[in-house]
Amino acid sequence: MKTFEEKWTAWLDGQLTGKELVEFEASLPDNAAAKLEKLEAKKLGALLKRELGAHAIANEEFFSHQLRERIARENVEPFREQAAQVSTWWTIRRLFWTGTASLALFLVFAVFVMREKNPAEQSRYLSQILNARVDPVVSPNATISMFEAKGDRVTVLWTEGLQSLPADYAAK
Amino acid sequence: MVRPFPFVTAFIALIMSAAPGLRAAETVWSGLVIAENVAQPESIPLELTRIERLLKELFGYNQFQVIGQSSKTLKTGQEDWLATSKFFGLHVDARGESEAGYVLNLKLYKEKELLLETDAKLSKRSPLVIKGPQVGSGQLLLVLIVQ
Repeated sequence: MKTFEEKWTAWLDGQLTGKELVEFEASLPDNAAAKLEKLEAKKLGALLKRELGAHAIANEEFFSHQLRERIARENVEPFREQAAQVSTWWTIRRLFWTGTASLALFLVFAVFVMREKNPAEQSRYLSQILNARVDPVVSPNATISMFEAKGDRVTVLWTEGLQSLPADYAAK
Repeated sequence: MVRPFPFVTAFIALIMSAAPGLRAAETVWSGLVIAENVAQPESIPLELTRIERLLKELFGYNQFQVIGQSSKTLKTGQEDWLATSKFFGLHVDARGESEAGYVLNLKLYKEKELLLETDAKLSKRSPLVIKGPQVGSGQLLLVLIVQ
């Protein structure tokens, strides 16, 4: 069942026919005023169609529009590329120099560390005599030498001329 | 903008690789040894077996007897101890620990008389042998070994 508003809209649009049209027009309180209103609505509709309807573009205008859009795009893209180039620090040249500098720095550190480590590595394997002395009063002719038996990894402090002692001193 | 992160990482890695490892507590055996030639040599003491060949070749004796000894476990590297026989005393004063080993001050006494003094770095893998005075027909040796 259509409401009055639905029937009114259909009537304005001329879509009511037959018995429905007769019944609706009979239900109107002021038929003349309603018909006048319908006429005004039609006029308004025609006016709106005429003024607000889609404007068809001619061929020349269409191509001109396409061309303008393309020019606008091409003008924008170089700026984007330039902006992309500016935004990164890592150019090829800089990458190359940074790599070279890093490698050089690594080599310097590697040499430094190896130099520092080599003596330590060596001395890890062999004990070292830092210095030695004998009492010159007790053993005036004593001499001291030191050497490393690297095959056995033994460090030897060799003394000569120390005061000889009797066999009794070998007691436990 | 320069990104320092890779450089910092590489630097830290290098420093860490160069850092020395931690050393566990180690025992130093120090002995007064009489080396001599005898007709029936006794077997070499257990502590000296790893340097037996060297001792025999270097000093030319066939018997090595321990007349005094001491085993000291070093925890701080600052300990001192004494290995004694009836007439000799070996005073060992550890004066710190380094990458190379223990820094030791060694003093050999004959009774109260100082015969020999030396400073040495004793490595874990390298025994230290000191030729002491002639005793009778033999030789006094001082031996230090990190066990």
